[in-house]
Amino acid sequence: MGMMGAACSDPCASAPTPDTGDTVPTDWTPAALSDDIPVASAAPGQLGPHDLAIWRSASGRIAAWADRCPHRGMRLSHGFVRGERLSCIYHGWGYGEGGQCVRIPAHPELTPPEAIRVPVFSVAEASGVIWVAEEAPDSPPPEFPGVVAFRSLQVSAAPEALAAALGGTGTVIETVLGGAQVVALIQPLRDGAAGLHLLAPEGSDPAALDALSAEVEALRRRLEAAEEMTA
Amino acid sequence: MSELGAMRDQWYPVGMTKQLTAQGRDTLLMGEPIRVALAGGAPSVTDGTGRALPVIDRFGHVWTSLGQPEKDLFTIPEVDQPGRRLVDVGVCRVRCSPLRAVENFLDIAHFPFVHTDILGSEPHTEVARYEVEIRDDVDEVWATKVKFFQPQAAKSAEGGITTDYMYRVCAPTCSVLYKTCPPKPGEWDVIALFVQPLTETLCDVWPYMALYDDDAEMTDLIHFQQMIFVQDRSVLENQLPALLPLDPGREIPTRADMTSIAYRRWLKRHGFTYGAQLVAA
Repeated sequence: MGMMGAACSDPCASAPTPDTGDTVPTDWTPAALSDDIPVASAAPGQLGPHDLAIWRSASGRIAAWADRCPHRGMRLSHGFVRGERLSCIYHGWGYGEGGQCVRIPAHPELTPPEAIRVPVFSVAEASGVIWVAEEAPDSPPPEFPGVVAFRSLQVSAAPEALAAALGGTGTVIETVLGGAQVVALIQPLRDGAAGLHLLAPEGSDPAALDALSAEVEALRRRLEAAEEMTA
Repeated sequence: MSELGAMRDQWYPVGMTKQLTAQGRDTLLMGEPIRVALAGGAPSVTDGTGRALPVIDRFGHVWTSLGQPEKDLFTIPEVDQPGRRLVDVGVCRVRCSPLRAVENFLDIAHFPFVHTDILGSEPHTEVARYEVEIRDDVDEVWATKVKFFQPQAAKSAEGGITTDYMYRVCAPTCSVLYKTCPPKPGEWDVIALFVQPLTETLCDVWPYMALYDDDAEMTDLIHFQQMIFVQDRSVLENQLPALLPLDPGREIPTRADMTSIAYRRWLKRHGFTYGAQLVAA
């Protein structure tokens, strides 16, 4: 599924630099976990100032588009997937390959003009993570051998503060959390928030994953409490 | 105050008459704090400085204006026809532009997708050509000969029917629709949408109905309309930009949107721009 890159022995070497969430990063940005966008579903995402509709077709193809139907501005992440199309929930306008509008239900006989098109972002999946970029970067996103995507959560704290709390810097941090060797991917979000995409050791038992969840939620509470103190 | 433009001198609904109390209710009208109360048995509205604002008590609702309206509030003659049940549906708060709320009310193409299996259903999605005009004599937008297939057009409808509609925009934040009345062929059910602009991106919507329906319980009639509006709210709170774009460019209408196009044109012509975006972003 998606683009598969060669395994990267030192993921930190290609780590994107931290961002404020207002500018568009030039490298891949982690935006969601593959498991969180199942077949025939859509969900909202972010890339710098852009709102994204991240969706997966019936055949499993992942896509990241501008989260706005060109017709009446409705968020496409609220839409529905049928086959290889994403349709807007407001009037059912259907969009296919390359964001091209292919169906306007109010006018079933009409072939939609080519100009009706949703802006499309680059997207790739690696190690169970969905990565997005405005322009396709030269290399594929990093692979992380030995770990698998575990869960994502949003933290109301700056990406730098989240990185520091995890004992690292930048946006790719390898650390020990709740007794497990994890990879933490940090996504800059708007309004001073950060997304945390966590990869846990392959074959972890449920108790170990529960412990990891408890640990990361405690970390989030501490961070957000600290943010409130300084706010 | 200047950003209110021509909308300052228009009438707006600010509450239901039968819910008035002597103590009053604090609310907002275009960003201005106001109090709506019962004073000596009659509705009264005051602004943040205690100044009395003009008041009209009509259609079960209290109407006021921050400015000096030149015209009386519009009328709905059908409301006075004997045998109609008048329904104050209540209030629905929506985080959207008051103008977007009205535009959604004028739209039929969303029925199969937002009000699925109630006001519309696939594959009956086609919007046939209808007629739209801005009637200069009454200064209203009218859409006529609108037809749409509906699985359950009203509380009183059984099975699917093709429903005829007429729409009128009679004030910048008010619209009235007329639709086929299943129990009384030849007459129209009347459903109005009165929108109170709290701010440019927040509104209280007060639906109001005048129906020929002797059978349904009042609470069922209210619940039906509330259910429809709650479905609309999920769309209205997720449109980008929040303000209604009046200049062409950022949104792409089709022939099914002729009423919306005329509404936007009428708003722009009058300088009714509170809740609107004039320059395409």
